Amino acid sequence: MAKLKMKRVEIVSSIEDSQDLFDFLQRKGVLELHEFEDVEGMSRLSVGATVSQLDKYLGITLATQKTLDKYAPEKKSLLRSLNGAEELSVENYEKRASDADGLLSECMKILSLSKKIDEYSAEIVRLTTLAEGLKPWLSLDVPMQYKGTEKTKAFIGSFQREMTLEQLLSEIAVADDSIETVSADIISSSSDLTCVFILCSNDEEKKTEAALRSIGFVRPPDPTRHVPSVRYGKYLDKIKEAEKNRDECKKKLGEYKDFHRKAEFAADYFTIRRDRYKGLSNIAIDDKLMAMSGYVPEVYCEKLKKQVEQKYTAAMEIYEPEEDEDVPVLLKNRRFGGAIESVTEMYSLPGKDDVDPNPVMAIFYYVFFGIMLSDAGYGLLMVIAMIIAKAKFKLTAKMKKTTDMFLYCGISTVFWGAMFGSWFGDIVKVVAVNFFGVAEESFPSLALWFEPVVDPMRMMLYSFLFGIIHLFAGLGVRFYMLWKSGKKLDAFCDVLPVYLLVTGVAPIGANVIDATIMPPIALTVGKYLALAGAVLVVLTSGRSSKNIFGKLFGGLYGLYNTGAGYLGDILSYSRLLALGLSTGVIATVINMLATMPSNKAVKLIMLIVVFPLGHGVNIAVNLIGTYVHTNRLQYVEFFSKFYEGGGRSFTPLKINTKYYSIKED
Amino acid sequence: MGDYLGTALAVLGAVLAAALAGCGSAIGVGIVGQAGAGLVSEDPSKFGKALILQILPGTQGLYGFLTAFLLLTRIHVIGGDFSPITTSTGLMYFFACLPMAIAGFVSALYQAKAAAAGVGIIAKKPEESGKAITFSAMVETYAVLALLISVLAIFSISGIVG
Repeated sequence: MAKLKMKRVEIVSSIEDSQDLFDFLQRKGVLELHEFEDVEGMSRLSVGATVSQLDKYLGITLATQKTLDKYAPEKKSLLRSLNGAEELSVENYEKRASDADGLLSECMKILSLSKKIDEYSAEIVRLTTLAEGLKPWLSLDVPMQYKGTEKTKAFIGSFQREMTLEQLLSEIAVADDSIETVSADIISSSSDLTCVFILCSNDEEKKTEAALRSIGFVRPPDPTRHVPSVRYGKYLDKIKEAEKNRDECKKKLGEYKDFHRKAEFAADYFTIRRDRYKGLSNIAIDDKLMAMSGYVPEVYCEKLKKQVEQKYTAAMEIYEPEEDEDVPVLLKNRRFGGAIESVTEMYSLPGKDDVDPNPVMAIFYYVFFGIMLSDAGYGLLMVIAMIIAKAKFKLTAKMKKTTDMFLYCGISTVFWGAMFGSWFGDIVKVVAVNFFGVAEESFPSLALWFEPVVDPMRMMLYSFLFGIIHLFAGLGVRFYMLWKSGKKLDAFCDVLPVYLLVTGVAPIGANVIDATIMPPIALTVGKYLALAGAVLVVLTSGRSSKNIFGKLFGGLYGLYNTGAGYLGDILSYSRLLALGLSTGVIATVINMLATMPSNKAVKLIMLIVVFPLGHGVNIAVNLIGTYVHTNRLQYVEFFSKFYEGGGRSFTPLKINTKYYSIKED
Repeated sequence: MGDYLGTALAVLGAVLAAALAGCGSAIGVGIVGQAGAGLVSEDPSKFGKALILQILPGTQGLYGFLTAFLLLTRIHVIGGDFSPITTSTGLMYFFACLPMAIAGFVSALYQAKAAAAGVGIIAKKPEESGKAITFSAMVETYAVLALLISVLAIFSISGIVG
């Protein structure tokens, strides 16, 4: 199992059956359409306008969902969101789809209500601002447009600063000391606005006005015809009315609580329609026939052909794709390897010459994950959570793979945690010592193998060893790929010298770190192996060069590259130790903090509080770290040995819905 | 009572590892948090993805804490049985802490920058968020290496001086 083999197919059908056939193909979701090459007499459908129209409708349904979430929120249980799409039979779907126009017009009603709410809200803001502007004038008991009596002239206006009556009068006097008849009233005064009412006799109008202007008097931009408080009252009434209207719209929207599922159906419906029309852009038609071509995974070919030809007036031809065709990639693996397909997909799908790395990668992925998280208690929690998720929820295929991945990772974590003797850090020991009076020194290690915290050097050496095995596996895949494509010499030249060199240098390197662990024979053998490897690297890595100097320098450069590259790669696996230590030590610290008090009862209460909190945070942080670093080891160290990537993902014409799924009978 | 200078030096090292790496992480997590908040203001559904990116530069603080804790238990400042260590031993411990302190601080900053840029990936192509995480995680390698050297040095020194 690996990359699915793809076949190129051509389907021709009668024009009468074409609609039904196309719907059928979309429901099947195994055909990736390609533009049908131009044939004389056949034309292409122009679907651009329809697609953009459908996109618009889809946008309306999505906006409706957002509006409803805001004004008529629905209690969404976590259960439902995990449970995936509701299943509909084809018949049922079509029955509901016939009312799509009705749903759309409901959606538009909802949107227009929400638009009205927005408009009323804006109106309220505007009116409130106006009313606020009137507030300083409220104690004026004549209209703001008041001009004065028969013999007097009135000036109603403001200064952009704080002012007292005395100040005002004296400033007028300073500006023009010939004015005699002026009288003034301060209507209101604040730090940046002083509203005033000033009266003068008719014959001094011009003088007064000039004086007032010179000290900064301005008339109001919108003087009222009524007494200000009347207009203020009108504003308040209008605000009330707008609020009432707005609330009414909100109430109407609130009644749409049951419309959520319908809006979701509409969204799904328009998604299906849009995808269908996008697909239709690839087909060719004339007045009798419809023709299309594309890719179908080989495993589905025969069944599809049978169904197409039996149900419809149609014919399907299956071809082997040409060598240079851009064939799409679809991965299919057994459960164990398939669970980590998403990890590979995140990097890049396998290219044309690549093999599917998942089956080889899977075991390393789970092992490394386990070593880095390295706590059996945490692993156990993962396993339990994943088993519950699997039992309780109807998961989508993608979610299933993710739960599988964390299930296997969890199992591996339990295994390695037990090997290293870490169950929620050292909780067993802590409880035994603190509550049952066991002497700390006499408590045995729980490790089935050894504790990395006690002997980190040993763990580091093992990390390197696991790394070397991982890298060798990657090289092995490279060997297989080269061999299979007929480059047998290259297969040997690329892989064998590195095997020899690394196998030879490894015991010598280990001896540098710890002089006691390697038997002398390993060192001697290592020396010769390394030498042989180095010579082979020098001899082989310059082989593409034409002249002898090129070969020699290419060889020496290759030796440097191989040496430095593999050294860096192997050292990178020290993160297995580092992340494992980080989980374990912090778990230990949490346990220690939890049992700090000396009183046993207080200690117990502390433990009950601190234990779940502390370990909860530690699991969360370390899960992310472990996931990231496990991925990194695959991407950088493993994939660089053989993997090209760059494959194009298989994107069939299919039903790409979010909320409902349609079951083909 | 002996001379406490050695112990003081070792504690200084531990404190630097925890404090500098912690500062780096605090700044880093803050930087990514700001970028993330900008994204979430536009699209609240991307909170989860942004949060993962935000946590990434937080590990240095953890590593610094880990180094400090290991050292403090080794020299029995934590956990009882205290007895002072010699000045030269303390100095060794002090130096052993420096990789974690310095590389922790710097790598957290730069990891945060990579992660903050990654927030852009989440904004435009949420399906590629794994790549954003990977870019940022590359930086962390050097924090991991620094942690290893510091921890191994602490273990080895305590092995040498007994």
